[in-house]
Amino acid sequence: MAGKKYNTPLIDELEKGPWPSFVTEMKKAAKNNEMANDAVGHLEKCYSTRVGYWKHGGIVGVLGYGGGVIGRYSEIGNEFPGVAHFHTVRINQPSGFFYTSKALREICDIWDKYGSGLTNVHGSTGDLVLLGTKTDALEPIFAEYSSRGWDLGGSGSALRTPSCCVGPARCEWSNYDTLDLTYALTQEFQDELHRPTFSYKFKIKSSGCACDCVAALARADLSIIGTWKGDIKIDQSEVKNYAKTMDINAEIINMCPTGCMSYDGKELKINNAECNRCMHCITRMTKALKPSGERGATLCMGSKAPIVVGSLLSWVIVPFVKLEPPYTELKALIRKIWDWWDENGKPRERIGEVIEIKGMRSFLEAIGVPPQPQQIKEPRKDPFMFYTDDDIAAYKAKEAEEKKTKKYKF
Amino acid sequence: MDINVLKDKIYAFSEAAKGKKKLKEKDIIKGISEAESADPAEVKKALREMIDVGKLMYSYGGGASSVEIPSEEYLREKGLIK
Repeated sequence: MAGKKYNTPLIDELEKGPWPSFVTEMKKAAKNNEMANDAVGHLEKCYSTRVGYWKHGGIVGVLGYGGGVIGRYSEIGNEFPGVAHFHTVRINQPSGFFYTSKALREICDIWDKYGSGLTNVHGSTGDLVLLGTKTDALEPIFAEYSSRGWDLGGSGSALRTPSCCVGPARCEWSNYDTLDLTYALTQEFQDELHRPTFSYKFKIKSSGCACDCVAALARADLSIIGTWKGDIKIDQSEVKNYAKTMDINAEIINMCPTGCMSYDGKELKINNAECNRCMHCITRMTKALKPSGERGATLCMGSKAPIVVGSLLSWVIVPFVKLEPPYTELKALIRKIWDWWDENGKPRERIGEVIEIKGMRSFLEAIGVPPQPQQIKEPRKDPFMFYTDDDIAAYKAKEAEEKKTKKYKF
Repeated sequence: MDINVLKDKIYAFSEAAKGKKKLKEKDIIKGISEAESADPAEVKKALREMIDVGKLMYSYGGGASSVEIPSEEYLREKGLIK
């Protein structure tokens, strides 16, 4: 079907080696699709001239929605008409990325009909990303997907499609139902997802434990990381079995970030009060160690990639929250967070940047969360505790009394 | 305030900003509710209804989304005019 055959010596290099190649996949699609064929030729031209040629943004979308479609145009559409319009469509993925093969076929059949046939499953946003379609195909695409129960994902200054790890569906370490929470938040915040109202993007990502399989801590404005309150239960007989095949001191004890573990060659001990629930020991000794007690999550805020200011990692806001349907407390907190961001953020400022600018104290006061020791940003740094004159006067009075009575109060 | 009057005010507000300032949805809600002493929820409702029928549209540029008056090209593409 594809018309012009492009000579592609540069991108052919990317097919060499033992790894899967996106160029190979594009060429396969190019055999049956003119848009994909022109995308191959366009890519070769980009490599040979070292120019991108892509324009991004604009007014593409479906009626009533402000997100889900990312407009892309080529500056050299005359030369490659198949990619003159090459818009990206984001489809909201199911929680945990679970599909039936029937669903995947359905998605691809519709995409073959209206688009380039090229996909990115999944994009770093978590969405099913469909690469390359024309403006006049957007409404029919949306109609076909929505009639089968699919919806567009988020883009622009909006809530981005919430995403999560596989959670309790396939993982014994999950401390809460990430799938259910993600579904509930997606349903609750449909308006914020499809109608951009924020200063900039806002991402919610949920991981069932500190292994953080969706990398929430590094890239979500709100990272919901599963944790537990009880001790780590130890099966000493299994520890002995692990000792036969691993150096427990080198691989576990010495790598514990808080130094709360010890092993004398016979018995493994954990000072649970010092443990920060990083999961390292549990993931290395799965049969010997297990979390126990109350399960829930830690809420962290503010991570992002560098755009306005440098990259940020998430910061603990709520050390522990129980996450059970209907998640009323969490939903209310998210709305308070958005209100504060809306009042204080300038366009293109992520919430992490606004917290840096306005201060954690102002943020915590606005959302009604008390300052707690776990919120410390990094060791020996206390960026949001301030003492009022009354605090200092009270401290001096206490100090004077202690000096006088020689009895110390802690 | 009557929702149709609100819609007229919103349209005039958006038209005045055209070519000068990219308006966020909240800029419009805040601007109109303050200028007309209207309930922000009602302004939001009116604004959404306008977007749903293509009287206003979402746009995107420079990393941020905004609300603006649609071009004829957009209206034609959506089948709202011939």
